[in-house]
Amino acid sequence: MADNFEPLIVTFCCNWCSYAGADNAGVGRRQMPPNFRIIRTMCSARIDPEFILRALSKGADGVMVLGCHPADCHYIGGNYRARRRIALIRLVLEQYGFDPKRLLLQWVSASEGEKFQKTVVDFVDTIKALGPTPIKSKKQKDMLTNAVAIKEE
Amino acid sequence: MGFFDRFKKKNKAQAAEPAKAEEAPKAAAAAPAPAKAAVANAGQPTTKTGFNPYPAADLGELLPPAPAGGKIKIAIYWTAACGGCDVSILDTNERVLTIAQFADIVMWPVAVDGKEKDIEALDDGAITVSLINGAIRNSENEHMAKLLRKKSVLVVAYGTCAMFGGTPSLANLVPGGASEILDYVYTKTPTSANFQKDYHADKPVVPQTEIQVPEGTLTLPVVYDTVKALDQVIDVDYYIPGCPPQQESISHLLKAVVDFVYNGVALPPKGAEIGVTEKCLCDECPRKKEYARITKIYEPYQVNVDPEKCLMDQGILCLGPATVGGCNARCTKAGQPCRGCYGPTQLVQEHGASALTAIASLFPVLDDDPTCDEQQIIEIMKTIKDPLGYFYAYTVGKSLIQRTVVEEKA
Repeated sequence: MADNFEPLIVTFCCNWCSYAGADNAGVGRRQMPPNFRIIRTMCSARIDPEFILRALSKGADGVMVLGCHPADCHYIGGNYRARRRIALIRLVLEQYGFDPKRLLLQWVSASEGEKFQKTVVDFVDTIKALGPTPIKSKKQKDMLTNAVAIKEE
Repeated sequence: MGFFDRFKKKNKAQAAEPAKAEEAPKAAAAAPAPAKAAVANAGQPTTKTGFNPYPAADLGELLPPAPAGGKIKIAIYWTAACGGCDVSILDTNERVLTIAQFADIVMWPVAVDGKEKDIEALDDGAITVSLINGAIRNSENEHMAKLLRKKSVLVVAYGTCAMFGGTPSLANLVPGGASEILDYVYTKTPTSANFQKDYHADKPVVPQTEIQVPEGTLTLPVVYDTVKALDQVIDVDYYIPGCPPQQESISHLLKAVVDFVYNGVALPPKGAEIGVTEKCLCDECPRKKEYARITKIYEPYQVNVDPEKCLMDQGILCLGPATVGGCNARCTKAGQPCRGCYGPTQLVQEHGASALTAIASLFPVLDDDPTCDEQQIIEIMKTIKDPLGYFYAYTVGKSLIQRTVVEEKA
């Protein structure tokens, strides 16, 4: 893929740990690639698998879900639920043909600005290695619009 | 109380509901002919998805004889369908005979001798209702859907395939699309492979979409790469889910049409989903839930299904929590898990994702085993060989991703 590929990454952060962790990274002036867009949710369990599928269907190159560490959830067990859902939705994504690495689940606490930075840097590198999302490819668009069949007709 | 008794009681309770709906302001025009103005007055969808609930009900009595201004026209067409929806229309029992008293069936490929050219000869809007069942699989399906749309006042997506793409849309999960499927069917399956090897060893014989013969050019429809739901191709007025739809749904639609034709009663708002409830299937299901956690998934044939307990508690994956109600939980009452043919509830687009969320909460969480990690869940889920096909069995066509993707750097 061209070297100038800049991935677009949708990041879901839980309000109590990871969003504060992202703040911490900002306050600490940590250098991060600007490819990610944060969406704050109250808990990682708020992230319906539909959100992830919607992000991917709209052309996101990768999706990060960040939550509190196990046993640290503000709502006691939300992150366990998130973990189970992500495990299942990853099976579905894999069957859809996506590389499962396009979806990342990571635990970032409020004090871990450094870990937030590392997670973002690593994930952007992963996605850059994978290339742009196949959803946006011309072949996929042709397939969806049945371009070949309609032309033939 | 036996199985059928329970069913009857439920019907009675629901029959009371539509009476309220009929109190809607009566349109002034009582013309038997399709009145476009009255359709326009029918109102706009009120929900985000454009689906409005319209509770299921039985007609209760036979339909009256022909309207004063002459019979209306009805067309029933199948696109990519199995024919079950056509048969389900006959589930209306003796009322199907009275349909002929107030309507001419101008097209119904399985039962009536109406041809495409007959439809083309009609004026635009001459058909009052077109019931189209089946997904859009090839160019002929699309052509007929568009033709019927042009000639009809109301188009109803009848059945799950027309509404969500249904089982035919599972073909969207083949990465290579139509060419891969045709290649497999005509050269790879054991029977056709043998045939091709024996008779056409040099070049396999596969159907062409066009061929020149002395009399002219013969054509076949072109198979599409992506199977579509009906409303992805044409504008659809009403939706009736079900595989096949329950007879209450079709009766209800007929009643709405008859009321409109005879009495000028306003039609339900455009985009209404007929024959569904507001809540999910679990609301109708008589089984008892105990919130058990499961560590192993079973198919119904592997266990002795307890007739009282929730199927999920017994380790059988049921799509009831993610599926809209309206079918009276027929499958779960008979000990079979819900496969989700009625589609998602109103504000959900992703049926499978919704089912996944419900199923994820079945695994030991929190109080039992907080350490149940991703790997363990995947181990449990491995019992299902085809998760996408299980959770999206009927709704791939209307899902967000819609078809498989191919990573460039595989």
